Amino acid sequence: MRLRKKFSGAWATFEYLDDTCAAIKELKNEGFDLITTHTPCPRHEIDHALGDPQSRVPFGTLVGAFIGFSLAVLIITKMALYWIIPVSGKPILSVPNIVPIAFELSVLVSIYFTIGAMLLMVMIDTWKHPVPQSRKYKNYDRFMRDRFGIAVACGGQDLEKIENILKKHQAEEVNLES
Amino acid sequence: MNQLTYGNINDKVVNSMEPPGKPWMVSMVLILGALSMGVFAWAIQIRHGLEWSGINHPVAWGVYITNFVFWIGIGHAGTLISAVLYLVRAPFRNSIYRASEAMTVFAVMTAGLFPLIHLGRTWYAYWLLPYPNQRELWVNFKSPLLWDVFAISTYVSVSMAFFVLGLIPDLATIRDESKGLKRMLYSIPALCFRGTNHQWLHYMRGYLIFAAIATPLVFSVHSIVSWDFAMSSLPGWHSTIFAPYFVAGAIFSGCAMVLTIMIPLRRAFPGFKEIIKIKDLEGMAKLIIFTSLIVTYAYAVEFFIAYYSGAKYERALFWFRPFGEMQGFFWLMITCNCIIPLTLFVKKIRTNIPALFVISLFVNVGMWLERYVIVGTSLAHGFSPFAWGSYQFEWAEIWITIGSFGWFFMWFFIFVKVMPSIAIAEMKETLTPPLRNKK
Repeated sequence: MRLRKKFSGAWATFEYLDDTCAAIKELKNEGFDLITTHTPCPRHEIDHALGDPQSRVPFGTLVGAFIGFSLAVLIITKMALYWIIPVSGKPILSVPNIVPIAFELSVLVSIYFTIGAMLLMVMIDTWKHPVPQSRKYKNYDRFMRDRFGIAVACGGQDLEKIENILKKHQAEEVNLES
Repeated sequence: MNQLTYGNINDKVVNSMEPPGKPWMVSMVLILGALSMGVFAWAIQIRHGLEWSGINHPVAWGVYITNFVFWIGIGHAGTLISAVLYLVRAPFRNSIYRASEAMTVFAVMTAGLFPLIHLGRTWYAYWLLPYPNQRELWVNFKSPLLWDVFAISTYVSVSMAFFVLGLIPDLATIRDESKGLKRMLYSIPALCFRGTNHQWLHYMRGYLIFAAIATPLVFSVHSIVSWDFAMSSLPGWHSTIFAPYFVAGAIFSGCAMVLTIMIPLRRAFPGFKEIIKIKDLEGMAKLIIFTSLIVTYAYAVEFFIAYYSGAKYERALFWFRPFGEMQGFFWLMITCNCIIPLTLFVKKIRTNIPALFVISLFVNVGMWLERYVIVGTSLAHGFSPFAWGSYQFEWAEIWITIGSFGWFFMWFFIFVKVMPSIAIAEMKETLTPPLRNKK
């Protein structure tokens, strides 16, 4: 099974954020949805242009928190009842004893689930939105510096149309791959 | 002064990661010397036992537990800055948070050593963990010491994960700015990050959740550390004020340590002067004033409650602290924590870099003394006058304490040379993006 889908489409680099956003909006209006953008830092303008996509990472966190909480309650309850340690008339098992550890384990497990959810979501989205496979694209090293980028997947018949849209919005360079 | 741009932020940070020069090397030699002496002292103590420390009956906790609480406190400011100030969008956070987070991780790594050192027979440390065994010796879930094991290990995990997560985009930046082997090495921890919309979307949401989760953790961990003391039935410890008092104290000392390390960092790398601005340091100074006032209030309340409660043991202890044999430490603590930080109310002083640095050193000393006074006086002056004792630290404790600073600064010095000590992506977020139409 191929982990990456074969790419056919175009990619371009931009110097200015407003040009990038305008190009994204026009591509979306023309019905091109398989868009991947590159920015040196997170920019809400790009999110708005893409239609404010939402992340489902918080669900992972929630599941982790429930598992951590349950694990804490289980460990403390089971251990307190199996190995009874009487301490100066205190109850063998009580809620105040459980609270600190239940809180800590909820946090601990939820962060690992959050990391897992983030990685999973990024992998799924990257798989759904193929990016160019060319060496030129892979070695382009200014996306994390000061350039914005757009990669659009499309059929061969749309390449010219996409090229025109990208050039119209002052792309520094446009590369076609099929 | 150059205008900050996306590109020159990269350049400034990359420049700070050039191979180290002579000052770095000399500092590292001193640091490793201190660390070696600490390790040597610990080795002697392991060989001969805790008789080489000043710990005795009734003062069974001494400098080691003082150091533990001190370093945990230092570790608090990093998470406060990276998580709490992120949620409230404090403008002075961005330039200082990466180094503060690194400080947190290294401080907690240092703190974690002290329960092991204090244990004497370090190799039995695993008895702290609840795991099925045939010894019939089980951990006591009613004990705050066990809660502490969970709290500290969770805090270490979350702090490290938060630190590493924040580094990913910046490591990708360093990867793209490097060539050859360096590029290959940085590409591994950068995890194929290329700043795509999908990566930023899930990354930012995950980061926000981390901040939201870490915020209550900041308050819970030091509260639990305070319960190590407060849940004991001992004059000077058994108090409901301990949790907020310790949390404020931790933030107070942590912010001071941030200034202690950021000011030399800013001087060592001239490019950072445009990134770490005086108003960022001033923001930290304001936090120090705020938390200093809380700590001062807590000191006053402790004395008032001792008087107002009518509990004679409590009153005796709070007479012993300022006028007993440890009075020198107490009054130095009051000077460093309550009086000297008041000078930061003067704008000229809190915007003066050398003055800020000196004040931060005083606060560090004061907060170490606070823990020392809390640990030493209460244990020495319990309920039974015939069992009162005293405590005098020994050379092994002094060298292990100095060694702990060596351990902490060794990691920090390595960090500034191998990782970006300024959060590149977050600094870029604060800039106006490049726009063709600037209206």
